[in-house]
Amino acid sequence: MQGYAGKILEINLSTNAQTIYVLDEDMARECIGGIGFNARIIYDHIPPGTDALAPENVLVFGVGALVGSPFPTASRTEASAKSPQTGGFGTSNSGGFFGISLKNAGYDAVILKGRASDPVYIHINNGQVEVLDAEGIWGNDAWEALDILRARHYGAEIALIGLAGENQVRFASIENGYYDGWGRTGLGAVMGSKNLKAVVVNGDMGLQPESPRALLKTVRKAQDLIKATTSYVPFSSYGTMNATIPYGNFNAVSTHNFSRETLPDWKAVAGRQIVDTYGTRHIACQSCIIACGHLAEINEGKYAGTQVKALEITPTTSFSGNAGLGTEATIKAAEICQRLGMDMVSTGSMIAFATELYQKGVITKDDIGYELEFGNEESAFALIEDIARKRGFGAVLAEGVKRAAEIITGSEPYAMHIKGLEIPMIDPRGRWSTWTLGMLTNVRGGDHLRCRNPVENLRYNENDEALSQERFGLKLSVYEKLDMPEDLKAIAIDLDKDTVDIARMAVWAENLINLFNASGVCIRPPVLEAIGPTILADAINAFTGIDIIPQGLIWSAERTWNLIKLFNLREGETSVDSRFPRRFYKEAIAGKVLDEELVEKVVEDYYEVRGWDQSGNPYPDTVLRLNLDFAKR
Amino acid sequence: MEGQVITFNREKCVGCGTCEMICSLVNEGICSTRLSRIRVVRFPREARNAPITCAACENASCLLACVAGALYFDESLGMPRVNSEQCIGCRQCNVSCPFGHMNFHQEKDIAFKCELCDGDPQCAQFCWTGAIEYPEKEQVLLKD
Repeated sequence: MQGYAGKILEINLSTNAQTIYVLDEDMARECIGGIGFNARIIYDHIPPGTDALAPENVLVFGVGALVGSPFPTASRTEASAKSPQTGGFGTSNSGGFFGISLKNAGYDAVILKGRASDPVYIHINNGQVEVLDAEGIWGNDAWEALDILRARHYGAEIALIGLAGENQVRFASIENGYYDGWGRTGLGAVMGSKNLKAVVVNGDMGLQPESPRALLKTVRKAQDLIKATTSYVPFSSYGTMNATIPYGNFNAVSTHNFSRETLPDWKAVAGRQIVDTYGTRHIACQSCIIACGHLAEINEGKYAGTQVKALEITPTTSFSGNAGLGTEATIKAAEICQRLGMDMVSTGSMIAFATELYQKGVITKDDIGYELEFGNEESAFALIEDIARKRGFGAVLAEGVKRAAEIITGSEPYAMHIKGLEIPMIDPRGRWSTWTLGMLTNVRGGDHLRCRNPVENLRYNENDEALSQERFGLKLSVYEKLDMPEDLKAIAIDLDKDTVDIARMAVWAENLINLFNASGVCIRPPVLEAIGPTILADAINAFTGIDIIPQGLIWSAERTWNLIKLFNLREGETSVDSRFPRRFYKEAIAGKVLDEELVEKVVEDYYEVRGWDQSGNPYPDTVLRLNLDFAKR
Repeated sequence: MEGQVITFNREKCVGCGTCEMICSLVNEGICSTRLSRIRVVRFPREARNAPITCAACENASCLLACVAGALYFDESLGMPRVNSEQCIGCRQCNVSCPFGHMNFHQEKDIAFKCELCDGDPQCAQFCWTGAIEYPEKEQVLLKD
């Protein structure tokens, strides 16, 4: 077996014991890499019922199978643990250069267990592993700590937490270098609970491909396929900011805690002109041919000198939409969150939640210490700092919206989460689609990144009466090129009616994205549309030699999704957890509410396609087919 | 080949490192930044990147430093090259290059450097930003 590092490293921080597991070919074929490794490790290594912030929780970094090769966008590493927010499978995916360094340092995954008695960091240097004292680093924000560690370990790639992680804020992120991060599901709190400040990696040992010639050929073909998509030029020019305007037009931007339609002056804070005004240089991850990221620079005014990667749809919808801030304040908020190590989606949600509570009189100035108002950057920034340091009312908000709503009497109707995870970006009342169904069915909770129709069409916003279909509206050539099994394609996309079946497409999209997250490939729209299991199998076989067919890859991805679901069920998830907040069914936005019965019916259809019963439990034959007997309930 | 020159534009480089992966894959059959003849130096905080390789000096110090006669100037390529058969692994060339572009292969115990893939540099072929190009010399001179 080539292409893989071939080893998985386990460090128990309570005892400093290190264990090396050999990555065998069976595990490689069944799990592929990244999230596939993590799901299996988390299921096996975390005792049932473990408290997410207890030493028994396990944090895993799993590198994608193609990372370390020049396959376009192969850069990504999945981090996973039991989530302190959802109580289920916590997981997040990040690019940058951490993954290539870790694999080149000799490990496909790192398992972190236990709790160090004093703050420490780990240095992995081409196969050598040391647990080092974090004195002088602990207590620093992420950027300060990075400056110190990068000077000490030249050329290192670093995963680390900021103050929010140290203080175990439940939605703390793990930062990946200065500007990237494993944002969602509170993994930074898990790292903080282990007294672990950073994982510092120096790796350049090289990875031997099974077939260099075949790999080179596949890389060229993949580059050409990605560049041929219609979204390639827009995304390589403006990144995800492209999508902000269509969602605004649909009144689908998360706005003021989902209490209102998209702001009338949305175009002043979103869209390409923001990139033109504030964006300077493009930022790419390893092997990327899109470089969707931009460095934002503010040269005048009170935030002059700010320099940070921002100008993306997530901070924009979270801070400009949900919290109502202006563009420069949104850029500044991105910097504050990156330094403190806090998930930007959840942080914006908490500001929005608290501000609406204040408006509605559920909380007062006496509770917080200052007034709250949508769009007020001073109070928003004060709130962020209070949360990260768990000061005053910030300590309540640091629990995340689900737990905060249990503490604050009368606040539950305003807690916008699914399974305990704050809902990002898109209001399903404004746009109902495969993507928004995916927020409900997402195994990591209310989130937008694990289900996305690879042929999503932002020109249209049309559903049938049953909410079971969305408009396709793309050219026949897009349909023909889409790498999806022909029989499934024929039932998931109806060219005569020009529709996409939301339940079927959601299952396919979740499996496909799981495969991307196992391969280490990015889900940016040009890649998601152009790259499918066929070329991924070619690339994985050329790189690793595991000799797998495209159907085998999709089987593995489906298996991983089901294993995560079984983990969640083991940890107490029930079917009622896969529900939208009541607000989406009761309060209209721009004249639209969701019909609960219709949404439930689409979820039931989804369960049927998944091979799950109506409570979301995989049927025995599904478990058997996916070789998950060890996890059956 | 003759009359062509490799050019780097730091303003266009996004730091994706595709060139490093392709270089080592084509020349060494491995994906390795260590064995790549081209390097991307990254300054992540400022989002600045600099792809660097042999500067093709006319009076190259590596040539002067080589005691084994392994380094020679390839006129058609316009660049010093290593005759790996003759290299004795003394590393004098590595020390002498003011730009740090001479590399050393630990396993083979010899020096190695960019040799423009014999006149068809694959880094330029795969660079999608235009940061690495291999134009005619005249074009470059005209631009200036």
